[in-house]
Amino acid sequence: MSSVLIKNESRLGLKLVAPAVGIIGLLVIYPILFNLYLSFFDVQLNGNKTFVGLDNYTQLLGNPRYYHSVGVSVIYLIGTVIGTTVLGLAAAILMNQTFRFRNLARGLILLPYFAPVISVVFGWQFIFDPVNGIYNHVVVDVLNLTNERENLIGNPDSALFVVILFDIWKHFPIAYLLFLAKLQSVPKDLYEAAAIDGQNPWGRFWHVTLPELKFVIATVVLLRVIWNLNRFEDVYLLAPNVETLPIFTYYQAFAGIVDQGAAAAISVIQLLVLVGLIWLYVRKVLKW
Amino acid sequence: MMNKRTPLQSVILYTLVLALVIFCVFPFLQILSTSLKHPIDWGNPSLIPRILHLDAYKELLGLMPAKEIDVPASIQRLLDNPALSAEKKQMLLAKFSSGGDVFPFGRYMLNTFVISFITGICSTFLASLAAYAIARLRFPAQSLMANGVLFVYMVGGVLLMVPLYQMSVNVGLASSAGGTIFSLFLIYLIQTLPVAMYMLGNYFRTIPFSLEEAAMMDGCSRVEAFWRIIMPLSKPMLFTVFIYCFVIAWNEYLFASVFLKQYQDFHTLPLALQTLFTSKNAIWDRIMAASMLTLLPVIICFMLANRHLSGGLTDGGVKG
Repeated sequence: MSSVLIKNESRLGLKLVAPAVGIIGLLVIYPILFNLYLSFFDVQLNGNKTFVGLDNYTQLLGNPRYYHSVGVSVIYLIGTVIGTTVLGLAAAILMNQTFRFRNLARGLILLPYFAPVISVVFGWQFIFDPVNGIYNHVVVDVLNLTNERENLIGNPDSALFVVILFDIWKHFPIAYLLFLAKLQSVPKDLYEAAAIDGQNPWGRFWHVTLPELKFVIATVVLLRVIWNLNRFEDVYLLAPNVETLPIFTYYQAFAGIVDQGAAAAISVIQLLVLVGLIWLYVRKVLKW
Repeated sequence: MMNKRTPLQSVILYTLVLALVIFCVFPFLQILSTSLKHPIDWGNPSLIPRILHLDAYKELLGLMPAKEIDVPASIQRLLDNPALSAEKKQMLLAKFSSGGDVFPFGRYMLNTFVISFITGICSTFLASLAAYAIARLRFPAQSLMANGVLFVYMVGGVLLMVPLYQMSVNVGLASSAGGTIFSLFLIYLIQTLPVAMYMLGNYFRTIPFSLEEAAMMDGCSRVEAFWRIIMPLSKPMLFTVFIYCFVIAWNEYLFASVFLKQYQDFHTLPLALQTLFTSKNAIWDRIMAASMLTLLPVIICFMLANRHLSGGLTDGGVKG
């Protein structure tokens, strides 16, 4: 190719990416830097700010509520990451079998993932409703496990587990899709060879399926951690009393005594963790 | 080949599949069932309503006849007084038919539809240009941009809510309804652009380059080749990406709540439903009917786009 053509091509390329990159630069990259700047100020909702140096950070690190929300986030992350990965894998293996109505079943189990959070949270709230919900009906009236109807979502401690279950329900389909795509590409003769070697189904799973899926599992786990670290709506809309880090940040920034500078400081710390995780993902998973 | 399943294995398989499907679908059935139940029926654990009760839907869709207003006897006597002008009577009546009870569902749905539709169109268009360039052309900083898209997509909205809000305050956009909606549109654009670029980039790479080459030999310029060859070939994927962006905007709550809180007329459905739920006149059948109606467009979109969506999301495995 002549140098004129190369020049033309690169000029066209830059022209085509310019609008998208411009918007992303203005509304993602710049805000990240602006956020860092804001974290050194006392910021009001109306935009007034006064420089306070590192005060936001020192106050934050001395705030027990911050550590509490870090703790809640960690439990939430462990529960949801393990839950989605295991259920996603199990569902993928199940849906990889041949059976009647398989396409229908494959479509139906994707529903939770695509449904608007705002709609499905009400369904879940009704299920756990202390007066009308099916959960209390089964636990109290049918199984007689306890005598009292409990408000699981009203109590932050038990609500955390409802939120974890909800998140698994909502997000295992994406893990399932990734696993299924990989399972379908595992060569059949590997299983046949293992069967000839005398492996039972469990052995075939352990010696063939798992090693083949190793990279996808790592991808799913890391992506779940990254996504759930930022997860806001699913938690807040189902149980606003479960204070994971994003919820805590939201309360700091927009509710009660507004302290946007502190919220900016939390975001900066969280972003550093996130960048580490993304780096891990790009280095270890994408280039494995 | 694998040995055939024994009857027992078949039973286990179908049981597990059924259990999984029920687990996934049950909350949806619960929403549908409650939306159709009469309030006296809520405690009934069965999913099938004893009496079909469509009032909640009728009310939301504005099909209810105007409610009979309960007026105390003393006021009723006043109203019956022919000396009172019609205007005064209206004012008196208005006091008793509390306006807080009206939930303009249609308006919220229209708001949400308009902003989601515009977001979907703009995002798909801008992303197709950028994705084509990144997938096909050589230019400076190309690989940086290809990787940058990934990074940007993983920075969640929560991390950006404070700076974005402060930016719109500083620029003055947050002080008017129009400016607020424009800010929200821009935010939805950046929430959808990276994933749209990613999905389209992957798709463009699967189209053989020889097609463009042939077009260019026939005298098409690069831009013409993109417009006449690549875009028509990508129609199904463009549609899928549009649907995906549309649904992201349709479902978004966080930024809508931050920006639109004070502009009640411009609330989107997620925000309106949450407000309805936390308000005192939250009634399960109404909430559930509203949820059902919010859900429906998404399920329709999903059925339209399902074929390409699953593949588009998993190729490379980014979205979570």
